[in-house]
Amino acid sequence: MSAPSMRYLPLLLPFVLATGCERHQGAEEAPKVVVEVPEGPVPGPKDLLKSVVRISTTQQEWNQGQPWEKLSPGKRRSLGAIVGKDKVLTTAEMAADATYIELESPDGKRLVSAKVIAVDYEANLALLGVESEADAKFFEGTNPLEIAARPKPGDTLDIVQVEENGTPLVTTGGIQSIDVISNFLPGQFFLTYEVKASMQSAANSFSLPVLRDGKLAGILTSYDSKDQLSDVMATDIVERFVREAADGDYAGFPSLGISTSRTEDINFRAWLKLTDDVGGLYVSTVRVGSAAEKAGVKKGDVIVSIDGHDIDRLGYFDDPHYGRLYWSHLVRGAKSSGDKVLLEIIRDGQPVKVEAVLDRRDEKDQLVPGYTFGKAPSYLVKGGLVFQELTRPLLESFGEEWQSRAPLNLLDVYENPQKYESRGHRIVLLAGVIATPATVGYEPLRNLIVTKVNGKEIKDMKSLVEAFEAPGDGGMHAIEFDEEKFTVHLDEAISTAVDGQLVQRGLAPLSRTED
Amino acid sequence: MLARSLAIVALFITGPALAQVKTPPIPETPAGAPSDIYRSVVRIEAAVQVPDYSTPWNSGRFGGGIGTGFLIGKNKFLTNAHVVSNERRLLITVHGSPRKYPAKVKFIAHDCDLAMLEVEDFTDFEKFPVLSFGDVPQLESQVRVIGYPIGGERLSVTRGVVSRVDFSAYSHSRADQHLIVQIDAAINPGNSGGPVLQDGKVVGVAFQGLRQADNTGYIIPTPVIRRFLKDIEDGRYDHYVDLGVSTFPLFNPAMRQALKLPDNGLGVLVTDVTPTGACEGILKPGDVLLAIDGHDIDSAGEILLDGEKVDLNEVVERKFAGDKVKLRWQSQGSWNDQDVTLKPLPPARMYAIQYEKKPRYIVFAGLVLQPLDTNLFASVKFENVNVRRLYSDYVPKGIFTEREDIVLLTRVESDPINSQLGDFAGLAVDKINGVTVKSLKHADELLHPASPPEFHVIELFGAPRPIVIPGSAVDAANERVKKTYAIERLSNFTE
Repeated sequence: MSAPSMRYLPLLLPFVLATGCERHQGAEEAPKVVVEVPEGPVPGPKDLLKSVVRISTTQQEWNQGQPWEKLSPGKRRSLGAIVGKDKVLTTAEMAADATYIELESPDGKRLVSAKVIAVDYEANLALLGVESEADAKFFEGTNPLEIAARPKPGDTLDIVQVEENGTPLVTTGGIQSIDVISNFLPGQFFLTYEVKASMQSAANSFSLPVLRDGKLAGILTSYDSKDQLSDVMATDIVERFVREAADGDYAGFPSLGISTSRTEDINFRAWLKLTDDVGGLYVSTVRVGSAAEKAGVKKGDVIVSIDGHDIDRLGYFDDPHYGRLYWSHLVRGAKSSGDKVLLEIIRDGQPVKVEAVLDRRDEKDQLVPGYTFGKAPSYLVKGGLVFQELTRPLLESFGEEWQSRAPLNLLDVYENPQKYESRGHRIVLLAGVIATPATVGYEPLRNLIVTKVNGKEIKDMKSLVEAFEAPGDGGMHAIEFDEEKFTVHLDEAISTAVDGQLVQRGLAPLSRTED
Repeated sequence: MLARSLAIVALFITGPALAQVKTPPIPETPAGAPSDIYRSVVRIEAAVQVPDYSTPWNSGRFGGGIGTGFLIGKNKFLTNAHVVSNERRLLITVHGSPRKYPAKVKFIAHDCDLAMLEVEDFTDFEKFPVLSFGDVPQLESQVRVIGYPIGGERLSVTRGVVSRVDFSAYSHSRADQHLIVQIDAAINPGNSGGPVLQDGKVVGVAFQGLRQADNTGYIIPTPVIRRFLKDIEDGRYDHYVDLGVSTFPLFNPAMRQALKLPDNGLGVLVTDVTPTGACEGILKPGDVLLAIDGHDIDSAGEILLDGEKVDLNEVVERKFAGDKVKLRWQSQGSWNDQDVTLKPLPPARMYAIQYEKKPRYIVFAGLVLQPLDTNLFASVKFENVNVRRLYSDYVPKGIFTEREDIVLLTRVESDPINSQLGDFAGLAVDKINGVTVKSLKHADELLHPASPPEFHVIELFGAPRPIVIPGSAVDAANERVKKTYAIERLSNFTE
């Protein structure tokens, strides 16, 4: 690639962006976006090496198809930022399903095994520390990074990399835009800087510290070498995470628990009795047990302002520092769990004020957890019948196109959990059948949602295990399924014998339940 | 898989010439024909019009194809349903003669891919030999396939042996399975509907092939043909009948023990009884089906019929609407014997491709509403889980008893009134103005109340918000949409 072409492209961009901003912001002090022409990476000051560490992690996922075992492990390397006392900040991707994490000084002289102090998979941030006082020697002579002041669109940031030989590399790039997007897990939106910089691909992955004036301004989470664009988790998010995680009791970014719809359709607005002077965010669903539900927010409400910030028809508000941002930043990003948020709502044409106390939705309280990092799947093998709890990772095991290939009955639970919530706290399914003497003729059964075993309702794996402890007449288990009007029977004596053989053949343990 | 060669241009050229041309008389025996019987194997030219379900107001695609048929009685030509489905004009040609005889469809059975044609004037055919039917050919025995496949204009004969007799899918309707005979003679586009002969008798009708395999041709064997011929004797085709029962095999000893069944390898578990089906109110889930028409049902759901193990439904296959079938079953420990009157299950045709039908639709303020069926599903891919679920549950879960049609919002034709509604296309309609939509006609009634409401509110399954259309703006929008998108009629309710 030639240098001129690299310079040419960014030159064009400022005009496009500047006009775009003008249109939205009018005469107000619109942040002037001028993206610097990115230079290639240049060697950074040696002192930088005192503030960063190499991280190597070994990660191993559970096998959703055979939940008693793990898949083969993989390795990943990245560069972490030393923050606070003896702590290292990196992305949650580095900590997900980690079996071993090792920190290494850039010169390779010091090595220490690390533990996860706090991790937020949704915000894609993890704080690492060492196991003992003795291990803390690793940090001797290091220089923790302070958190930078929040940048603005157009500001330049320095992306830090370390070459194999230990030379620090700094790539300077400009913030091209600021948006609330998801960069790791789908549907988890956080304030992110989009930085234009032509980095060199390094041996480590693209989890890198990003500095501003020598202070930590964010963590780079992804880099697109084609467009030379990278996503950097914003200073606000990093600052709040480090602050809240430092005490070892991390509560996490809160949520309101609603899904919303835009209100730019004039017919829809007329029906909602919205006047032209307000924007508005239509509440499509309110999650049961969420902060919004507790505060009395209802489906069909229109949120017109949050904490005094007017929400426009597309769901954006004017942030005094960053400019136009998506509303969700006012909850996830600008607030902590336990904070209050004031919602101004229009309900049936009438203004209503609602104060919600924000809380963290714990993924494990979801009917179908969206992620299960670090958690072994719950399951039970009984006489060859394999029972599992429905999770998104289980659905994803149906392949790249799982959203069309996974069984419809399971996708329905995932898409419409409210229909199934009253059943219990997990959906348990007969995932498949191992051919054994106890399962003759049952081989075609798979992906059936279990409703009852021996007359007892199944609410999660634990209740399933308990239900199997009391077989019915003649030592016979009766298993009933959702939408299937027949009962499958299992002989306790035979299945126990079969279970013994399965254990001998290496299938162990036969069950695992969440505590 | 269907053997229909496209010959759009050719048909348009040959079409108009037909009436004017003075044709020489048909020779008694065609020159060079090895057998007299070949005279009665005719070439069928079909001009077709296939409706376009993605733009239901349009005329659809005009096309055509060539197939084969054969004379089985006085003015009775047998061929495949797929040769003549959606036809607009049919012409029959005889081997060795240039004359084209206009013909029409007398009976058509899409579920077994057979059709009976007749010509307007049978005079010229009076002296033609009539083909008669034989039995199901033996494995490895030799058969001849006669027809007008691609590669030339004249009659073609190929030979092969019977390689398999099976119960398998008939691809024309996409939803039916019947007895099928596989042969290794080449069957090519144009062969469709042609006779397969053995010892001078018809043992099948060539009808489909396998694209990914060589030398696999499929023929419709005579039991299926005979059933079709018997069904139409009363002047009407009634479709296959259905027990309307789903079963699960009873191999498992624990299952048998719990159901108090002896260990004799007999009986299947009833898992579902289709609402409105033949067995509704007679069988129920959990019953154990033991015998059908005196044949013991084994635990795999098979019976011994004419010395062969076949699916228990084969008994039903051979029967007609109104016929009875004798069932024996066990229900909660007691034995039951009862005759069940068989009937077709019309809602099940939802899962079959329909022919000779015009798509039904409503265009309302640019929103296009259509009933969900397999034709629509085949032309528009629906990803939405709720839609796919409604489709697959329609018959098994008896959704059709509540909703005769599952009404979908299939398209949004852009107009100022619906400019923000594009994302809603592909979702199923639950309610209109607060009322559950039961059918397309019902949807139309709900959208056209005596006095228009201030707002029409359309709720869709899985949508983040309802669709709102101001009542007073609908007429003007309809006019614009009609003009802009050249939609001649804003609705059609007749198939």
